[in-house]
Amino acid sequence: MLFHTYPFIIFLAIVLPLFYLLRKTKLWLPFLLASSYVFYGMLNPWFLLLVLYITLLNYAIGIVMSRLPFDPEPGAPFYRKQIFWLWLGVFADIWPLAFFKYARFFNENLNAVFGWVHIPFRLPDPSVIMPFGIPYLLPAGISFFTFQALSYLIDLYLGKIERERNLLRFANFVCFFPNVLMGPIERAGHMLPQFERPAAFRLKNFTDGLSLFLIGLFKKLALASYLQIFVDRVYDNPGDCGAPELILATIAFGWQIYFDFSGYSDMARGVARLFGFNLVLNFNNPYLATGIGDFWRRWHMSFSRWILDYIFMPLQLMWRNWPSWGTAAALVVTFLFSGVWHVAGVFWTYIVWGLLHGFGLAATNQLERSKYYRKNVPTWIKRAGTFAFVSFAWIFFRAHTIDDALLIVKRIFIAPWSNPHIAGLIIAIIILAWIYQILHETRWRETLARTSWAWSAALAVLLVVILCFSSSGSGAFIYLQF
Amino acid sequence: MSQAATKTLPQTPPEPVEDPESPFGPNEMRLGAKQWIAFAIAIVLIFLCLPAIWQKLERFDTGPDYRIPYSLSNDYWQIGRWFKKAAEPGRIVVIGDSVIWGEYVNPDGTLPHFLSVESGAPGRFANCGVNGFFPLAIEGLIDNYGTALRNQKVILEADVLWMTSPQRDLSASKKDTFNHTRLVPQFRPRIPVYDADMNERIGAVVERNIRFLSWVSHIQITYFDQKSIPQWTLADDGQSPPNYPNLWRNPASQITMSIPDPPATDPDRGPKSPRHVPWFESGKEPLHYDWVPLDKSLQWQAFQRTLATLRSRGNDVMVLLVPFNEHMIAEDNRPAFRTITGGIDAWLAENKIPHIAPATLPPTFYADASHPLTEGYALLAKNIYAMPEFQQWLKQR
Repeated sequence: MLFHTYPFIIFLAIVLPLFYLLRKTKLWLPFLLASSYVFYGMLNPWFLLLVLYITLLNYAIGIVMSRLPFDPEPGAPFYRKQIFWLWLGVFADIWPLAFFKYARFFNENLNAVFGWVHIPFRLPDPSVIMPFGIPYLLPAGISFFTFQALSYLIDLYLGKIERERNLLRFANFVCFFPNVLMGPIERAGHMLPQFERPAAFRLKNFTDGLSLFLIGLFKKLALASYLQIFVDRVYDNPGDCGAPELILATIAFGWQIYFDFSGYSDMARGVARLFGFNLVLNFNNPYLATGIGDFWRRWHMSFSRWILDYIFMPLQLMWRNWPSWGTAAALVVTFLFSGVWHVAGVFWTYIVWGLLHGFGLAATNQLERSKYYRKNVPTWIKRAGTFAFVSFAWIFFRAHTIDDALLIVKRIFIAPWSNPHIAGLIIAIIILAWIYQILHETRWRETLARTSWAWSAALAVLLVVILCFSSSGSGAFIYLQF
Repeated sequence: MSQAATKTLPQTPPEPVEDPESPFGPNEMRLGAKQWIAFAIAIVLIFLCLPAIWQKLERFDTGPDYRIPYSLSNDYWQIGRWFKKAAEPGRIVVIGDSVIWGEYVNPDGTLPHFLSVESGAPGRFANCGVNGFFPLAIEGLIDNYGTALRNQKVILEADVLWMTSPQRDLSASKKDTFNHTRLVPQFRPRIPVYDADMNERIGAVVERNIRFLSWVSHIQITYFDQKSIPQWTLADDGQSPPNYPNLWRNPASQITMSIPDPPATDPDRGPKSPRHVPWFESGKEPLHYDWVPLDKSLQWQAFQRTLATLRSRGNDVMVLLVPFNEHMIAEDNRPAFRTITGGIDAWLAENKIPHIAPATLPPTFYADASHPLTEGYALLAKNIYAMPEFQQWLKQR
């Protein structure tokens, strides 16, 4: 059940009033959990078992970790025991994700190696060990709820949060329906307190929630779906396309994935707000970033903060004896992890994408912090350079194979510029989106925010009308595959 | 104001402090309560008024033999508009599938045309058949877009073609694709061959009930080659290598505010068309059909419901059981066919529904199992007009 489909609208129309009816009873939390399980179970009821596993596992490990006798001396038995339970939790959390995401890839490659060295043994396809005829498919949202559960254990270990005593609250944190499929990836410290008591009924939550939902719907159905038609055509046959098409399709893909993912995040945040919950901001005008580091502070912010806190920081701490090289290496490894996480079907394209960002960050980290770069290089040059780099990396993210990606890069430079099949409307959308975002980072921001109420309502009407005319189906979201 | 008075004033709850971790957004449009109310009013007005205003402004010319062009068969909003135009006092509306529409013939070679000729009043019988339709789709069309036909004299076609196999009846167990899925019942009765997810099914129901969405489809079908506007801008011309003629075209310039006329000459239809030949000349042979019994037929049940809907709307309905091409039925298969037609006849008689079942035409007058040729329609109209039940029905009211 995706946010931009009719079944979700019906689900929301049933669940939302019931939630507010039950708000003052003890049933509100079980009801919210049941709603989340119905929402998730509609995709595939078997995968609810996985949600239950992650929930019970992390809740139980949380109990064990919090009951260890505390000895504040570093290296004391407390730390050793805690870290044992932490690693146990990490491995127990990660294996389903690894199995569903990578087992087939590793089996195929290992079998190829076995064949190459003439070993008469073949690993079976992972689908054969799936019980009850459950398909071997990546359960939707597995990465997101696994990462959320992991953050709970790590934050508990680091002493950033208290152990959650209420299983219902914890289960809601793991599988809260607005963000269970594609995030934003929440932290226990931010989310668990919100499950302590239902938010007061406030009109503002409704108006804000609906505003976020409408804009997210527009981004997904009107903008991302349109750009997708063009991007798919070009990226499916890059050898037949000229340089202008390839360049525009690459830029369009950058905007497509932004509209698709940020549209989902807006809808998720909007739906959560209707229920009185606040989810973290996930995107902040990423294509106005003035450096690669800045880009990652604006793009998929909940994920980049997650890898920064739980992968980069420990690695940087571990390699603190070589400050510059250690940081650079930590960045490369962190973004290699990001690439590996994004793997979906094709392996190496995402790895190259992750490494490009890792090396790009490592190379520009110091530059971005330098006074000269910050003060003397014109903003538009920094933005253009960053966007060019990010777009170049998107080629590897979007291409079907590494060969395709290299062909696209090559053809951008050598293919003819004659008869470019590029659409005026796509160029207009991209330019308007840029102008809209740039205006919001200038002194015009306040003027735009102060627009009259009639003007805002008219704009909303226009969005709905455009939505009606431009919607071409209810395609899935790109990040649902991760 | 005294301190005591201040204490008695109702305390307004403090505005919630914005959660620093989750600000509203960097640039998202944020509507307040007043703006949402204005939004709702504007949306309701647009949704209600725009299609109605459009109907007044868009040119839609129809002659006495008008029929919905094949290219507009999916434009249910436009078909509803044609129904409205056809439902003039004194006019008789003929509803049905491609047999009424005239699959192999020109607009002036159809059954409604020849019935009008017989009556001596051009255009008296309005061709409200739609090419590609079948009883389950006709049911959806009449239910949702046919209210303008209320109280009209109606000839409703019954065609046993749709019971010649479980696939045609849509009751086969294997999933399949078919036309006009947006019109067929989405939930009850269950159509076994229909393969659509919940979103598609609910979407179809929503579109039928929100006229604005049907109107959006009308714009896309009429002016944008049955595509959404974004798809149209990127559509290729089907050549190899493809060209993209619409990349820089202004979509607004496509909207001419006039329903395009059907082509003056249709190479696929009419006496000059190579398709306009008797069935045996195009290599067709008698067939053995896998007839679906009436009590199990989804199409027959849909027909019965359509009939009930029309009668409940005050329509004076005459059922026309169009003569199937019996010559194309294998000899040993004819008893099963007669059981079906006999069952239909018996049910109509039992329910006191005026009906006629003209005799099968000579073999040379059919183009296939159910569609007559131009001469066949002329003869059929003559035969129908000569039937006393028909004459009596014509004279009623």
